[in-house]
Amino acid sequence: MRFSVETWAPEYGASVNWPSIEETDDEVDVEVEKRISDWAPIDSPPPTIPEEIVFIDGIQRIDARIWIHHEGLSTPAVCASLAAGATICRPGQALIEDVKVCRVLIAPASSPASPIKTRHAVYEFAPAADATPEATYRAIHDRRHHMETRVAAAIRSDLIVFDGPLRGRNHHNAVGYVKTHHRFYLTDGLKPVLGDLGDGQRTPLFLIGGGPGGGRWSWYLRLPGPRAHPFAGIVRLELPGVGTADEAVARVGLVGSCLPRFASEPHRESRSPQNLYPIAGLERQLRQRLGDQVFLDRELRIMAAGGTM
Amino acid sequence: MAEIESVGRVLGTDHSTPLAFWVAVGEHQHLQLDDLVAVDRVLPTGEIISIYGVVAKVRARHEGATFDSDVFLIADGVLPAVVSEAAEIQVTRVAPETFVPPLPGAPVRRVVGEERDEALDMTEVERKLPAGLTRESSQPMMLDLDFLDGTKGAHVNISGISGVATKTSYATFLLYSLFNSGVLGAAAANTKALIFNVKGEDLLFLDRPNNRLDEDQRALYGVLGLEARPFRSIGILAPPRRGDPNGTPHTGARTTGVGPLYWTVAQFCRLRLLPFLFADAEDERQQYTIVVHAVTDQLERCARTTPAGDGAVRVAGRTARTFDQLVDVVCDQLQPEDPEEGPDPRWSGRSVTTGTINAFVRRLSSARRHVDHLIRADLADAETHAIDLDSQQVTVVDLHLLHDRAKRFVVGVVLRQAFESKEESGTAEPLQFVVLDELNKYAPRSSSSPIKEILLDVAERGRSLGIILIGAQQTASEVERRIVSNSAVRVVGRLDTAEAGREQYGFLPSAQRQRSTILKPGAMFVSQPRLPVPVLIEFPFPAWATRTAEAGPDSASSGSADPLPDPFAGLT
Repeated sequence: MRFSVETWAPEYGASVNWPSIEETDDEVDVEVEKRISDWAPIDSPPPTIPEEIVFIDGIQRIDARIWIHHEGLSTPAVCASLAAGATICRPGQALIEDVKVCRVLIAPASSPASPIKTRHAVYEFAPAADATPEATYRAIHDRRHHMETRVAAAIRSDLIVFDGPLRGRNHHNAVGYVKTHHRFYLTDGLKPVLGDLGDGQRTPLFLIGGGPGGGRWSWYLRLPGPRAHPFAGIVRLELPGVGTADEAVARVGLVGSCLPRFASEPHRESRSPQNLYPIAGLERQLRQRLGDQVFLDRELRIMAAGGTM
Repeated sequence: MAEIESVGRVLGTDHSTPLAFWVAVGEHQHLQLDDLVAVDRVLPTGEIISIYGVVAKVRARHEGATFDSDVFLIADGVLPAVVSEAAEIQVTRVAPETFVPPLPGAPVRRVVGEERDEALDMTEVERKLPAGLTRESSQPMMLDLDFLDGTKGAHVNISGISGVATKTSYATFLLYSLFNSGVLGAAAANTKALIFNVKGEDLLFLDRPNNRLDEDQRALYGVLGLEARPFRSIGILAPPRRGDPNGTPHTGARTTGVGPLYWTVAQFCRLRLLPFLFADAEDERQQYTIVVHAVTDQLERCARTTPAGDGAVRVAGRTARTFDQLVDVVCDQLQPEDPEEGPDPRWSGRSVTTGTINAFVRRLSSARRHVDHLIRADLADAETHAIDLDSQQVTVVDLHLLHDRAKRFVVGVVLRQAFESKEESGTAEPLQFVVLDELNKYAPRSSSSPIKEILLDVAERGRSLGIILIGAQQTASEVERRIVSNSAVRVVGRLDTAEAGREQYGFLPSAQRQRSTILKPGAMFVSQPRLPVPVLIEFPFPAWATRTAEAGPDSASSGSADPLPDPFAGLT
């Protein structure tokens, strides 16, 4: 496979707004725990330190943008590095385990792409639907999602918090942790409840139907921290939509009593308090494990120029 | 060779150089200061270079923490982080000598067993002097005798704070090791040591076993291949008790086996000892030194031409039997009673002003009360008296009760005697060791004096003459540079913080300098020419008593305790 590396730094091609992966056409049932008329902030049980809680996250980075040349045609493609891992928090100890790193060449499935081997890394071919930025992003995201799921599969724990929506990870111990709100699931009439949430308080449970993976229980929770605006510190959580509402409420209580302890402070975390410490620490470490981008970029250029390993 | 588990790997986030590098310590492993380690590097030619070193720094930190207070989150199990431990290695030896850096990632092993000799460059050393035990492993630490006996180098210099640094104890330990380890071979029997006891009574019981020596300490002597015994052949010289007509030596607690330390007036004159009474007699800026030399000449002439026979000297028709009398008669020559007469030019030197003569007389008179019991011919044995440095293996000259001026006089005169007898003998063997503390007093960095000249002579020519100085001082920065720089072996005990920063300790890497301020008694950094890095050693508790309370039964009198001093002696 002949290819060349875009001379511009990879960030310049990223001027596309990444589309929201969160599904927006789901049906929402807000009356599974409380009637609409009874919607009001609910206190979480007193804080507890869980015996074990696991946070799972992944990151991605575009190492280089390349052009694949074939029969006079040039197809844009992306070389990306991905990593996923878990932070296992026990009283007195937070450990990062099961870190997985992979490097992928994202190109349209129709292109004649094949894996790129450099001296220090191999970019496996991961086909995307087409060459658009959206398809490329979707392909990267799917890969990452897959890696996170594999990390989770190796872990036995009662409480596994995924950074992001569950998206089909419906194991009974899974919790989805959404800190970026692409959509509010509440009607305008219920939104003021969010503003009324005190530190550690949550909204009543609602059921999101349809979408990938079927239904899931969801609720909003306010993490402790300074309140710059009404929605500051608000996160949305998800549980697999199995069991009865009562069972879900019990689980919600457990999550609510455990999470606030991990909320970050503004001077340590640019996305405080939502970016939880175990996740922030994990991301730092994962970024480290991706390796040096300039170094990888140079290796790719050497290979593009016909270099040997 | 059995596979040795590696303790870590050379890390690549800091420079790795042929002289120093960092090692990341592996999980469930540890490295401490002074540990010896080794790492190999295979060259493209296939040659294996072994790089040996000693741990100079160790550090541990949280990787993944950004803020100091992150440690609380990490300890709570909220923020993930890893503890990373790393050690800085100072290279002691590269074998064979190809100076390449160890490569990041290379496994580092602890040096044990026979490889220790490789690491400390002791494989080719033929004559090894046990100099103490390494702190981290309690293994013998050896000195290459070639650098002590004059073959390739000589002299030891010890620095450290009084009381904590145990300088004198280490000097005596070295002597003990020299005499008893067998390193000197047959010459050990004739090798002599001269020790100046400048303070306390520490060195007056070298021939008594130490009853506080426990079995553990005894075992340490065993590790070094030494027996834990007191010194065998000891002679002690002490100045006479003031006002005692018999000239009984005055030593405090030690009462037996002590010889008197004094010079007859005739010796004083004949041996030209007068300049040793003046601290700056060699200083050419001082006018009165002309008078000192003129008077010295005259006294020597008198001693040769008109000896009184019993240790006294006749000067200008008068017999000088005591120092007082000698001073009086000299003063009379310089300052006649008749002011019209003027000084005798043979005694004063030519073109000397009254002021210069007064300066001399003032200094001479002020010496009177400090040395009058040291220079005398009024004792019974005066006729045959001589300072004897040769009949015992170790001669301790006790100065601790003397005034500084008298100390300088005695040190200067005794050293000169030892030096001259070595010069006359013409051979370096058997060696003569000299232990002198407070070098800063006798050979200060600034100013010049007869004693300093002798010490410089010892430092610079002693190596070929076979006279080896084991010098000590609180602060090397105050001692004549040439004396310290001529010492092949340098030892540092606990140092004062300000002192540790001075250039004189440049041979200590910065971490060791810092550590030298917290060394405990009995621990020293020893630097020897073979090793670029000083090694921290500990030496065993003295097997000989260092004060009365420790003195066990006299080994010579086979178990019988010292007779208690009679409390009623002298009463009638």
